[in-house]
Amino acid sequence: MSRSRFFVLWLAASLFCLWLYWPGMKCWFQQDDFAWLGLGLNVHTPAGLLDALFAPKAQGTIRPWSERAFFMGFFALFGLDALPYRILVFTTQVANLGLLIAISRRVTGSTLAAALAPLFWTANAALGLPMSWTSAYNQILCATFLLGAFYCLLRWTESGAWRWYAAQWTVFLLGFGALEINVVYPAIAAAYALLASRRHFVLTLPLFAASGAYAILHRSLAPGTREGPYAMHFDGSLLSTLATYWYGAFGTARLASLEVPPWLSAAGLVTPWILSAALGAFLAVRLRRGQWAVLWPLAWFLAVIGPVLPLRDHISDYYNAIPTLGLAVLGAWVFAAAWEMRLAGKAAAVLAAGLYLATSAPVARATVRYNFERSRAVRNLVLGVARAHEIHPGKVILLNGVGTDRFWAGMNDKPFRLLGIGDVWLTPGSESTIQAFPALGDVNQFVYPAAATLRALREHRAVVYEAAGPRLQNVTQTYANMAPLRLKATLPGHIDAGNPAFADQLGEGWYQAEGGYRWMAKRASLRLGVASPGGLRLFLKGFCPTTQLSGGPLHLQVFIDGQAYPPVAVSRPDEEFSFSFALPAVLKNKDFVEVVLEVDRTVVPPADGRKLGLAFGNFALRRP
Amino acid sequence: MRRLTLLATAALFLAATPACKRQTAKVETIENEQPQLASAISAGDPAHAVQFVQGFYDIEQGSWRWTRGKFSLTLQAPPGAAQKGAALELKFSLPEAVVKKVGPVTLSAVFDGNPLPSEKYGKDGEQVYQRDIPAGLFRGPSVNIEFSLDKFLAAGAVEERELGIIVQSAALLAK
Repeated sequence: MSRSRFFVLWLAASLFCLWLYWPGMKCWFQQDDFAWLGLGLNVHTPAGLLDALFAPKAQGTIRPWSERAFFMGFFALFGLDALPYRILVFTTQVANLGLLIAISRRVTGSTLAAALAPLFWTANAALGLPMSWTSAYNQILCATFLLGAFYCLLRWTESGAWRWYAAQWTVFLLGFGALEINVVYPAIAAAYALLASRRHFVLTLPLFAASGAYAILHRSLAPGTREGPYAMHFDGSLLSTLATYWYGAFGTARLASLEVPPWLSAAGLVTPWILSAALGAFLAVRLRRGQWAVLWPLAWFLAVIGPVLPLRDHISDYYNAIPTLGLAVLGAWVFAAAWEMRLAGKAAAVLAAGLYLATSAPVARATVRYNFERSRAVRNLVLGVARAHEIHPGKVILLNGVGTDRFWAGMNDKPFRLLGIGDVWLTPGSESTIQAFPALGDVNQFVYPAAATLRALREHRAVVYEAAGPRLQNVTQTYANMAPLRLKATLPGHIDAGNPAFADQLGEGWYQAEGGYRWMAKRASLRLGVASPGGLRLFLKGFCPTTQLSGGPLHLQVFIDGQAYPPVAVSRPDEEFSFSFALPAVLKNKDFVEVVLEVDRTVVPPADGRKLGLAFGNFALRRP
Repeated sequence: MRRLTLLATAALFLAATPACKRQTAKVETIENEQPQLASAISAGDPAHAVQFVQGFYDIEQGSWRWTRGKFSLTLQAPPGAAQKGAALELKFSLPEAVVKKVGPVTLSAVFDGNPLPSEKYGKDGEQVYQRDIPAGLFRGPSVNIEFSLDKFLAAGAVEERELGIIVQSAALLAK
């Protein structure tokens, strides 16, 4: 393929991508984005930076290029201006399309297939989320590393130049910093060598050693979970999960939930079957002719989807984003082969491709549109709060009517700390209108206590904003008028010890709140509200500076409703600690429990003079 | 290899193009507050949202809200209510899914601590709960009304949320 033809195809694919996902360019931040954006806030030392970049995070992920360095670096450069982040995502995807064209041309030998593969992949619904949610950039960047490494392999097999072999290794190894799925690259490379370039097969085997070493390192740093959605199941469910991903790979699974004509919805149901049959027939014919290379795109799909198959209880549409790249190549190959047939073959190819594009692209577009609107609502909430803070500096900001979607997309991951705003809360009672998702967090932790609300309103220390509309509306006076009617000063089931608003719930033995924590003396007490007893546990979190452990581990004993629990040891310096205790089966009081904390010794810092036990952040009663 | 290097350079250049920290955009808030509560409120109007006190989910399609099994709202007493009384009116829709699953539903209301006669609804579709409120129950400028359903869809029955009825509006009408 000539260079000019390559650039024309690349431009066409890029423009199609830009057109289909344009709302994704204008998306703002949501959900995990805020957690990643805030990663650098606590980095003050080189060691802290290394920890922020490489220490395993949620579900044991270590993704410095696609998440940590990306978000930390861009936040330092651009703050909460989302456009540069989105430009990088789109630029990376454009690079992917170029690589895909070059690879498809070499694997299939067809320029037509090289032109269609990026279009088919772009139109796949699985790309909707990665193209509209910045936290899913790992999918896009991982594809770049996999495609880049494989492109180098192809150039090496063609030219025999060792610099391409070395480049393949470099790109492959760097890919581990994008996404763990990179571990499957050796299978992709070996499959190609085995099927299309057998004399290079042996030299793909060392790649497995690198993946093996990474897998061992990853498992040692981030052991897998045995419970919850991320538990792995190696049983018959592997096949059913594979079937789900295969069916979903044609992008039509969510079509029925969109407002589309009934005929299109019905077409979406049969499309996976028709296209599967077409792919199967093509493979059968070519394999009978001994053209084993046609299996390689299928091998790509199976290799990349393989690692998520044991996650039976965590099936996500966007996990298909990289695997479907292989199916796009295969589909384009089938189309190019049919195009060489008579009119009936050409017509069937156009019909099948049209069916796929008409049923998958609308789902991709709807996903992007949904994330665009969702993220803009979050933007109005977060930047609205920033404006409210500017107008009412120093006041507690209470948000009413936030609702389920905006809470989980725009408040749960604490975006306000990125703007240096601390006191932003939900109005009491908001928790009743926000759907609970215990796996994501606890709404109650964000609710300002009723008694503190009444007091803050009385003393003009709080402003209340209604968040149900597109813009925040100041309703302080209206809310203050209604507050005595609507608020019962019940005791919350949680305490943010570092926040003076919760001081009512603390008994003796506490010092003033400082820096988000509150120190206890040798013995301290508190009171937590019980809304509905049964199965509750007390969860507590705190922080232990090195000075407290100069005499060895510190022992903390907890008494709940007078019942003593076995002491627990706090032994890790300069780290957060957390413990949980089951509540007694029978409580003395219906509405609350008394908790007493006692440490076996205190430390008196010379410049301080106070007898300090431990510093506490949160206490909460909840079900595990 | 040269093409690959070119690609990487182009990507880095494009990403770095806007590399000057821009001011975070501003989103204005609405600060001019309505001076008092309304005596007629629409579930779809964000300006009235603060009066839908508890048990209401987000506004849907700009016009209605699902409730839980218990929900409450606050209304301004209409002019002259303390002398002549008023009529309480709750317009809602009883979804087919609820009636099919739990059968007829009884709606009860407590008006500022005073129970009102409840009403049973057996058919799905648009409904109105209407009660005369005697003048004696108006003791202040606004009132709190707590509603409860004897049957509703428990969380997880149809969807993850607990679902009651679909409220469109509530009002205290002057006599």
